[in-house]
Amino acid sequence: MFTELNSILSSSPDSVTPGEFILVSDRQSDASFLIHHFLSFYLRSRCKVVFLGLVQSFRHYSAVSQRLGVSLTQAKEKGQLVFMEGLKESLSVLIPQADNTESQAMNFLRDPPVGLRSLYEFVRSGAVGSGRAEDGAEEWGPPVLLVDDVSVLLSLGVDAGAVLDFSHYCRAAVCSQMKGNMVMLVRCNGEEEEEEDGEEGAEALLKGLTHQCSLNLHVQGLPTGYCKDIHGQVEVCWKRRQGDGPHTQRNLFQYKVHDKGASFFPRGTSSAVL
Amino acid sequence: MLSELLQGIETGGLLIIQDSCSYSGRDLLRSFIAAALNREEEVHVLCFDVSEDELTDGLKPPYTQRLHVHNAYPDPLGWTDHPAFAVQQFRVEDLTDLVKQASQPKPATLVIDSLSWVLRHAAPPAVCRTLQQLRKGGAVRAVVALLHADMHQRGTVGSVCHLASSLIAVAPGPKGNEAVAKITKRSKSGKVAQDEETFCITEDLTVAVLSRLPEARPNGSEEEQADPTANLTFNLRLSESELEAKQKLTLPFVFSKEKKTALLHPGPGSGRILYEPDANDDYDQEDPDDDLDV
Repeated sequence: MFTELNSILSSSPDSVTPGEFILVSDRQSDASFLIHHFLSFYLRSRCKVVFLGLVQSFRHYSAVSQRLGVSLTQAKEKGQLVFMEGLKESLSVLIPQADNTESQAMNFLRDPPVGLRSLYEFVRSGAVGSGRAEDGAEEWGPPVLLVDDVSVLLSLGVDAGAVLDFSHYCRAAVCSQMKGNMVMLVRCNGEEEEEEDGEEGAEALLKGLTHQCSLNLHVQGLPTGYCKDIHGQVEVCWKRRQGDGPHTQRNLFQYKVHDKGASFFPRGTSSAVL
Repeated sequence: MLSELLQGIETGGLLIIQDSCSYSGRDLLRSFIAAALNREEEVHVLCFDVSEDELTDGLKPPYTQRLHVHNAYPDPLGWTDHPAFAVQQFRVEDLTDLVKQASQPKPATLVIDSLSWVLRHAAPPAVCRTLQQLRKGGAVRAVVALLHADMHQRGTVGSVCHLASSLIAVAPGPKGNEAVAKITKRSKSGKVAQDEETFCITEDLTVAVLSRLPEARPNGSEEEQADPTANLTFNLRLSESELEAKQKLTLPFVFSKEKKTALLHPGPGSGRILYEPDANDDYDQEDPDDDLDV
């Protein structure tokens, strides 16, 4: 986890604010480093983590988490981490083998209009499992759902509306009912000024999720272009009330990703400049 | 105009609060709920977008007996066996039954949070028909709905808002706490009134209207224009005689009408050009380059 980001978000592994829906979005950039941050953060807070890794293999996340000081294999063995490897599970649907039972969670690949109800059932059963305290098993904290990333579902033929329904149900179950947290990554490729048709596509999905979330971390490249020392900017928007006064708060930071983490600093205060 | 709307919506009215990603209209919606409860009206809320706790946070206990929340948030599509209220139930018959079941003979105010959920799962013409029939039905006194304008096509938003008797479009204001509301009110006689106000919502859900943006802006700006000839170390001003001389001055290439016609249509006696081609000038009207030695 990135310590500077923790202080920006006023969070620490010891005190996790319950019921948050954190939306990580990026535009023509790559915000997946934030997913690695949240994964290691919540594992360190001893929460039960349900991770839908739809775009990379387990080994990839494991290797990056190793550099951040967390072992995914150990967490999986102890039952703290429920990992769904999207790439492998999709093979079981697309190339059914006699001995291999088809994964129910990804059955939207067979029939996209059906929607993501089965995926939601998988998430729910994974998160609820934390309640059962078996002999010798450890008690974990409130469940956390991490999705990397939600936009890939659009390219697999699922409707933007179905994805919004899925995120709504997950929020109702994980955040409101079980008082856990949710982190989703959504990616956009186009420019913001593009007038989309309003109900289809990544832009509509981004707008819908922004309405639902309580905290939005929007990652973009620098408006002035490529820079070796500053990899981009992050805009942090709190949507729900923080403290007193019902207003949305926005802060802009720049960041640089290193081998073992990322550093965040206010605009213009990069160590390369000062 | 915002305060008038908060004091009461006329019977059969439809108020739509339009918001976007940059500013959520939910707090204004909650202010309307609080204002209706203060007026001792029965309020029914269809809760899709956020949980019941989040929506009723801040509403004071003595009034909440008149508040009936139909919680569609945990299961709006009926994926479990017993949903409290599903989006498929957004029809005139079901809604009328729902409202009649719970309340006293007084017709209730129906609050929908949010209409975007319904529009994503039902056809816009059906939703418009339901809203129109609800207004005329009599079981419901007035309808207040929240609509996320950037989640739908412009045509859909336009059609639904066309039905509204009052429309409030909210956007973030100049300072952090404030927001700007563009209000359109359509009266039964057909007259449309528009206004733009800055407001902020306090902790106890009262709306403080901060300023009304002035409509007579052009006059003000003329007077405010800075005088460039003031505060200089040299003199740029003109005295009376200098002003007169300046106005009398004719500019060199500004011709009067007579001079123009004289120049364009030369009369007899003015200069003429006589051209006699030389031996070397191969004057051919058709091909001007004929004399080139190429």
